[in-house]
Amino acid sequence: MSSIDEPIPIEGVTYRQLEIEKKPLTPGYVPRDPALVPKANRAAVVNPVRTCMPFGAMFAGLGMHRGLPFVQGAQGCTTYVRYTFCRIFQEPASIANASFHEDAAVFGGRKNFTEGIRNLVVRYKPRVVTVVTTCSSEIIGDDMASFVKVAKKRLVSELGPEDGNRVRLVLVSTPSFAGSHVAGYDRASRAFLETLAADHSRPNNRVNIIPGMLMPGDVREIKHLLAEMGVAAHVLFDISDVFDTPLMPPQTLPYYPEGGTRVEEVEDMANSMATFALCPNEGGLGARYLEQKFEIPAFAGPVPVGVRNTDLFLERLARVTGREAPKTLRDERGRLLDFMADTLHHTMMKKVALFGDPDLVTGLTRFVCELGMEPVAVLSGTQTKTFAADIEGLTGEFGHTPAVFNGSDLFEFEETLKTMPVEVLIGNSKGADIARELRIPLVRTGLFVYDRVGYQKRPVVGYRGGERLLADLVNAILDSSYPEERTQQL
Amino acid sequence: MAIKNTPAAGSGRVPFIDPARADHGVCVGPGRQIPACDQRTLPGAMSQRSCAYYGARWFLAQLRQVLHLVHGPVSCAYYGETVRKKWYPVFSTDLTENEIIFGGEAKLLSALRELAARFPDHRALLVYVTCAPGITGDDVDRVCRRAERDTGMRCVPVHCPGFLGYHQAAGHEIGTRVFLEHFIGRGGPGEPGGPGEPGPRDINLLGEFDVMGDYRVIKGLFRRLGVNVVNAVTADASVESLARAHRVRLNLIHCRRTGGLLAEEMEDRYGIEYRKSSFFGLTETSASLRRLGEWLDCRAEAEALIAEGEAAVAGDLDRYRRELAGKRVGLFFGGSRLGSMLKGYRDLGLEVVAAGSQFGCQNDYREAWTGLNPGTALVDDANEEEVLRFIRQYRPDVIAGGTREKWLAHKFGVPFTVFPQESGPYAGYSGFLNFARDILAALKAPVWRIVKGESRN
Repeated sequence: MSSIDEPIPIEGVTYRQLEIEKKPLTPGYVPRDPALVPKANRAAVVNPVRTCMPFGAMFAGLGMHRGLPFVQGAQGCTTYVRYTFCRIFQEPASIANASFHEDAAVFGGRKNFTEGIRNLVVRYKPRVVTVVTTCSSEIIGDDMASFVKVAKKRLVSELGPEDGNRVRLVLVSTPSFAGSHVAGYDRASRAFLETLAADHSRPNNRVNIIPGMLMPGDVREIKHLLAEMGVAAHVLFDISDVFDTPLMPPQTLPYYPEGGTRVEEVEDMANSMATFALCPNEGGLGARYLEQKFEIPAFAGPVPVGVRNTDLFLERLARVTGREAPKTLRDERGRLLDFMADTLHHTMMKKVALFGDPDLVTGLTRFVCELGMEPVAVLSGTQTKTFAADIEGLTGEFGHTPAVFNGSDLFEFEETLKTMPVEVLIGNSKGADIARELRIPLVRTGLFVYDRVGYQKRPVVGYRGGERLLADLVNAILDSSYPEERTQQL
Repeated sequence: MAIKNTPAAGSGRVPFIDPARADHGVCVGPGRQIPACDQRTLPGAMSQRSCAYYGARWFLAQLRQVLHLVHGPVSCAYYGETVRKKWYPVFSTDLTENEIIFGGEAKLLSALRELAARFPDHRALLVYVTCAPGITGDDVDRVCRRAERDTGMRCVPVHCPGFLGYHQAAGHEIGTRVFLEHFIGRGGPGEPGGPGEPGPRDINLLGEFDVMGDYRVIKGLFRRLGVNVVNAVTADASVESLARAHRVRLNLIHCRRTGGLLAEEMEDRYGIEYRKSSFFGLTETSASLRRLGEWLDCRAEAEALIAEGEAAVAGDLDRYRRELAGKRVGLFFGGSRLGSMLKGYRDLGLEVVAAGSQFGCQNDYREAWTGLNPGTALVDDANEEEVLRFIRQYRPDVIAGGTREKWLAHKFGVPFTVFPQESGPYAGYSGFLNFARDILAALKAPVWRIVKGESRN
């Protein structure tokens, strides 16, 4: 943020003036022209909380073992996304680019695509290449399906049938103007299963997990729950050891993280007992594809955040596999409940606002309700069909009626928050300015946490994730609600 | 794999470069050519280059009194909000399938009207045209003219679709053209920009981006010489100050890729002389101040300033030099200050074993060439694989480069310092100490010793 005395482009006032003026429910606060606050009434989007489809597809593609995304688009489409990954995870993200310049924009991108795939495969020897399309290649109408075939043929003729056929090319169509990163991941989940999952021959006694765009810590926690249950699983797009890898030189070249889902695992996913898409909008398409094609039961969400949603996940897991939750997990649940009881005087009846990606926000909303907090405003950056109904349904169970924004921007969110009393903000790093202006604490959650370290390493899912979240929440409240000069005895 | 500790001296070939790009790298030696540059990136390579839109944002982000509207899908605005680790408000027309098929001109027009009505105290609207409308062919120029007529606010199209050019420097050039055509010398009647005498020590500083406070340091040095910076493009420039930009006596170029074209054009149009300068490193800072002193006829003041600055850092610098002397460093910068920045490393006694830039031009490499020891590898647009091979073959003590390779170098146990920097200013005399401290901190971090110890067991 700029200096506090610099004019900012909102009616020419300075941040210092805003500090007083914008404080919610201050008598002097003059609300903005209400006609311009709702996003529906504006042509311009201000402070979006979503990014492009290719981002989601690249996130998925990096979750494969020796998997490299290949972007058929301008170099910025790769560089911006890599930069974003680096900011979130502080890890390398290897993404190749087709070097799509004016010539490709005019004459079509086939030449640079086939050349690029060949260069990439010869140099990096990947197992799977996620072909990601962009605005430009989609608008000019590149026939990517046929390009992929041509590229494959060229690989086979140049490298021989064995090497040429070993690398799998998965095409994910992701025109950025047609959806957000959530849809990109969703489409990638289906594209991978359509391309790779093989006919179901013998049951493998496993379940499939499609985690969605959760953090490495979350995927580890899910694996921990599965291990405690004694359930074997295939995790599609397993980023846990890709975006949180150990420092252990020397490595061989080309460098790949050791983790990631193997192609064989994806092939075998057609033989599993059930598919759990933890985030319904991020991976639900893949789960439904398996259900329709191979009759594998699909469970799409809710994301196992908080007590009830984790219970539900474990119950379904038990029903599918016939295994009971062991005492260790019941103890974990008990520890979370104990923590909730011990901290209720900090959380009860606190008014909270949440924003972020639809699935996680839905899960978090239920969790804050379980904590006795009152959600007053809930925003999903990406518009989905069910978001509003989901939020209204679950908050109704607890007797709350928050304002729901389905696919809006942070400008509308912020202006609305200024008209209502809010005590805590839950969302990603883009909420830092809002929190500063409203003088309330921000608890960072979700995909885009880039101004704090370590968020990605610890879970928010499962009972243990609930404990971490609760601790973050209460500590944030303590930091902002109590005078600094006094030591609080909790 | 055999590990070579010295570059393949004499052969002229850079040992870590991709064979398909062999002409993009040379080892410095008698009679050899500079690397091929300003060419299309090898498809499929993990290049660090970015697009024209990125360059335009980098160039224009800090221009004050303007609103930035990105005409394209919302994500381009999302990514363009952060420039140089700072956040800037950016508006987007959020194109969806509907506008891709039927055209986004109507939406753009209403967005422009809306913004002009809501932020009347701003002086201009910049409309970035990204890939999508660049291909669908929205007539943004016409819409801007229309909006300008309707609202009275200057609406300036910035044609920077990502596929334009071979790297982000295309965007810098577009930004330059926008300045020349729409802002420099364009004040209304009675406004600044009209006729008037330039101050004797009025200058423009071109290609300075104020990364972590660099510009503050430079401005401090200038103030001591009585130099008045009318515009720093674009660390400190506004519509108002740009209107006066053609009334200076001297253009000082800091980053040539950004300022070079602007300086040349301004010389053609307004007859303003330009000089190259750099405030990174001891030698370069002193040399730049000396040149400036000569030009402005204040040699004595400049010499006093140089003496004072050098004396202030001498003690600390001795200590840093003792610790850093002879350490081997690889430099993979983004822009084109390669030649001048090299000298900063040499001031510390570091040995540069490889150097390169993502989008340097021939002049940059020619300049770098003269500052490098024989045998040093000079590489254009080094990609991820090449950097890794460089690490394996050369075993550098430290690398400097862009953020994206940092994490990879760490995985190989090599300390990395980021450029543009993440900590305090690097410019001038005091900044140079920050720079030295950052390298030393990266080098001496105990983690690298621990990592090596573990790998032996």
